[in-house]
Amino acid sequence: MLISKNWLQEHVDLAGLGNGEIDDILTFAGVEVEGITEQGVSSDLVVVAEVRQSEPHPNADRLSVCQVDAGEADLRQIVCGAKNYKVGDKVPCALPGASLPAGFTIGETKMRGVESRGMLCSATELGLGTDGSGLMILPADWQTGKPLHEFVENDTIFEIEVTPNRPDLLSHFGMAREVAALTGRELKRPDIPPVETAPAGDAVSVDGQETCPFYTAVKIAGVNVGPSPEWLQQKLEAIGLRPINSVVDITNFVLHELGQPLHAFDAAKISGGIKVRMAADGEQFAALDEETYELTSADCVISDQAGTALALGGVMGGLDSGVVESTTDVILESAWFVPANIRRTARRLILHSDSSYRFERGVDPQGVVPASALAAKLIVEIAGGALSSPTFAAGSPPVLTGTVRLDDDRLHQLTGKSISLDDANAALARLGLIDTGFGQWTVPSYRLDLQRHIDLAEEVVRVAGLDAIPARLQATAAAPNATDARYDLDLDLKKQLAALGFFEAQTIKLIADAQLRDALPLKPLQDGDLIRVSLPLSEDHGVLRPSLAPGLLATAARNARHGAAAVRFFEAGRCFRNAGGGKATDLENDSLGILLGGAAVPASWTGKSPAPADAFALKGIIEALLPRHAVQFSPLDSGPFLVAAQVQADGKPVGVFAQLAPSRARELDLDFPVYLAELDLAALRTLRGAPADVEDLPQFPGSSRDAALEAPAGLANAEIEQAVRKLNEPLLVSASCFDVFSDPTGEKLPVDRKSIAWSFHYRAADRTLKSEEVDAAHQKMLQHLEKSLPVTFR
Amino acid sequence: MQDEIQEIEAAALAAIKSARDEQELDGARVAFLGKKGRLTGASAGMKNLSKEDKPVIGQLLNAARSAITAALDAKRAGLQDAADRAALAGLDLTLPGRPAHPGGLHPLTRLRDRAVQICRRLGFALAEGPEIETEFHCFDALNTPPEHPARNEKDTFYFDSGKLLRTHTSTVQIRTMEGEAPPVRIIAPGSAYRRDEIDATHLSVFNQLEGLYVDTDVNVGDLKGTLEFFYRALFGEDTEVRFRPHFFPFTEPSFEIDIKLHVKGQAPKWIEVAGCGMVDPAVFESICASRGDDAYHPDKVTGFAFGMGLDRLAMIQWGIRDIRLLIENDARFLRQFA
Repeated sequence: MLISKNWLQEHVDLAGLGNGEIDDILTFAGVEVEGITEQGVSSDLVVVAEVRQSEPHPNADRLSVCQVDAGEADLRQIVCGAKNYKVGDKVPCALPGASLPAGFTIGETKMRGVESRGMLCSATELGLGTDGSGLMILPADWQTGKPLHEFVENDTIFEIEVTPNRPDLLSHFGMAREVAALTGRELKRPDIPPVETAPAGDAVSVDGQETCPFYTAVKIAGVNVGPSPEWLQQKLEAIGLRPINSVVDITNFVLHELGQPLHAFDAAKISGGIKVRMAADGEQFAALDEETYELTSADCVISDQAGTALALGGVMGGLDSGVVESTTDVILESAWFVPANIRRTARRLILHSDSSYRFERGVDPQGVVPASALAAKLIVEIAGGALSSPTFAAGSPPVLTGTVRLDDDRLHQLTGKSISLDDANAALARLGLIDTGFGQWTVPSYRLDLQRHIDLAEEVVRVAGLDAIPARLQATAAAPNATDARYDLDLDLKKQLAALGFFEAQTIKLIADAQLRDALPLKPLQDGDLIRVSLPLSEDHGVLRPSLAPGLLATAARNARHGAAAVRFFEAGRCFRNAGGGKATDLENDSLGILLGGAAVPASWTGKSPAPADAFALKGIIEALLPRHAVQFSPLDSGPFLVAAQVQADGKPVGVFAQLAPSRARELDLDFPVYLAELDLAALRTLRGAPADVEDLPQFPGSSRDAALEAPAGLANAEIEQAVRKLNEPLLVSASCFDVFSDPTGEKLPVDRKSIAWSFHYRAADRTLKSEEVDAAHQKMLQHLEKSLPVTFR
Repeated sequence: MQDEIQEIEAAALAAIKSARDEQELDGARVAFLGKKGRLTGASAGMKNLSKEDKPVIGQLLNAARSAITAALDAKRAGLQDAADRAALAGLDLTLPGRPAHPGGLHPLTRLRDRAVQICRRLGFALAEGPEIETEFHCFDALNTPPEHPARNEKDTFYFDSGKLLRTHTSTVQIRTMEGEAPPVRIIAPGSAYRRDEIDATHLSVFNQLEGLYVDTDVNVGDLKGTLEFFYRALFGEDTEVRFRPHFFPFTEPSFEIDIKLHVKGQAPKWIEVAGCGMVDPAVFESICASRGDDAYHPDKVTGFAFGMGLDRLAMIQWGIRDIRLLIENDARFLRQFA
């Protein structure tokens, strides 16, 4: 909301208060000043000047060299870029030393080699409007050399954020009332004639009291509608409103003066009396903004006896029923609408106005009639005519405020006894509350937000300021809980991945449908699993991610486009899918995603073009994350990927692995194999906890034996692992593959065979094994393998 | 024989001394100590000696063998040492190291962890809740009436089911109080969602840190003390913190917190970092209704709550000018935090 300082000063004396001080007073009372704009200039160095001569600039096509009369003994030479003036025009001239609202100071300079001693200004440059297209052309009768501020009033405009609980501040008088209360300065009330209302009779009928409990109308006949007087136009323009005609301007003025929205109808457009009613479902309404809206029975309209909707109650007038130049009789509406209804209507129709803004927050029920009286008085003064009816009133102003108790015990608890009851009482009194004894306070009708003790206490703290309350710091013991444990485990995991040479990514959780083809969910997606927001911001962010892979791939692609030779990223975070069931965990789960591709080691002088990382690089990373568990990949249907596998730890599924299809990698500008893994974070947390007990270190040495198994090319290493495990040899402490050999030429080995070399390590806990014992155990192992697998030994 | 032994020893020591490499040295060893070596040959003559001479000559032979062996060992060590040095001749230690893959935590993780550690010092435990929430937990229980502008479809992501993406982590206040009796002292870091177009200062998915402390006598001074401690611990002991009265439906009184930001070459300015306030009694009443008991009856407990944007704190902490850098994951950006 914009507040003009000049306008505000009509209601409270601001003498001696700088803009910064006013800013502070409001800000620390919870009224946030978001911006301060100077309109016009107060400087004596911006003067009226007459252009006497204008020649093309010798070195620049777009510039002119002017000689101007600024009321000085000699003409002043100024270089100017505008084209909209002619010799003899009067224009604003900023002399060297003048400060302009934009924040710069004028000096004497040379422009393209030509001396320029000042600046001729546009309206924008002086904070006097939005026209920056050329110089501001001034009236010919303004005296050359006089400061501009003698002709154009300067003002300061405060841009203020009023919180939704304070509709009483949405006007100049309301804001002045607050400033007066906060500073102890006197409040000057507008001059409003007293008005007695008359029962509405047939003139106004209301069907829909629950939406419009109070409606008043008064008729002013014989008006002569024309442009508003200068003072009125200037006020409206100062706060960014466009003057329309005297009657409309007066209703707008009263809205911004008192906070009560009004509407003026052309009486000639109303047949019979005014009828406030709920709209019919599907009723069409052509509004002032030249749009047609379809209404429902929840919307309140103002119609005439013929039934024509003239206005959308509290929101916007109709296209044809407003006051125009030809209007002679005016019906002036001032009413009170129920906030929730107005909010519903404005929200559904996406039709917001200064009027709906105030009604939906709540206007002062006791301000309805005075606002009507002030507007009627101004219409008669400015547009002529005379009141030709009493102020008809249907219903009565709702009583929304009452008496509230300030509980001193609770106040002292809240403030740590730092604000005395006397100070608290004084603060409430300044805010216009009336002490009725025993801690009971009568709340003024405009303070709809003061309903409970805590609301009064809040006012006390707000006025006293937080500086008055001493800080207190007490720590308490916090027992460890499961969330804390999860947090710590996840952070350990992230730190380990960082140490393994991965950057942690954090990608946006709303992704595009087009990205879903990159998803690598822990379980295949079924129909209905995806969770979409009803009204996405754009199609790029319509689906909650069911997997981290799409975000990681987008990250990899972005980095590859910037020349990254290797992409190594992980993200730990929430994924979403509808797994049925009603619990939150049926919708959300935490995953760890890892992406790896490109140079296996960074290029350097020791190796200029390193080989790209392969699948075993990522498998090794997963093994490193689960050091005490047997990690295995079990092939899955690869779907859109080149390869896919289930990731198992000790035989149980913990995630999925895949290699991106090369065609997709190329689309993403990734010219190396890209590997992805998505792991169930909950499972990792369980598996990564500290060991239950440590094992004693071996006291006796062990012995190793190697064996080269010749096997069909299709035999998986995991089958050998399984067979080794199955024998359950007590002396065997470890066994693993250390070499794989195949010969595509078939020379050393048939092409359908491969040689897998394994190393077996034997040890006893209680003695050094004799060579014969080791040999015996190893022979048993080899026989077992030969018997249970299609292998031979070389 | 005595002379012969002395002569062999002298010859051996000379041969050892003149050996230029390990191969020559080994040749000398074989020539004197090998099976057919001269000293071995001399030892063979022992069997012809008299009983009296045997021990004397034996001693001499042993002494010669020890001396030759010691000389061989010393020479071999010297040769190896020289070879080791020669192998490293010309080593240029100023060449760059073999690089490892760089890696690191995301700045938000770093900042979040600092915030969590500071709060843990004060005895706050962690809490969490779902991101897909009910209107009850996001709005109703937080004293936000059905027609409140924040509940607008233009500002909040809804699902056809009527659920929504939480617009703030304050939902965790409600979840925690529903599940635990007072006192509670929790922080909840997590994501929140608003229908804001993504630009240099806005994300539609952003990160918050929520805090809640409810006990029998929590006052405005506790709120002030706790948050002043927090910002000073985070941004430095001299950090200036101010509280501006504000309005939130779920706290009263409510405040916004500003800290004074000092950027080199710019005038210091106050910038908003958090919202906070005393838990509104209406929130406690709705918790009581939801729990079906009066553990949180507003006559019995008071509390404060706060919520801050972690993305914004990260931007302040590291002078990040465009919030989108936090979701783009450009390694050139992330690397600066490694």
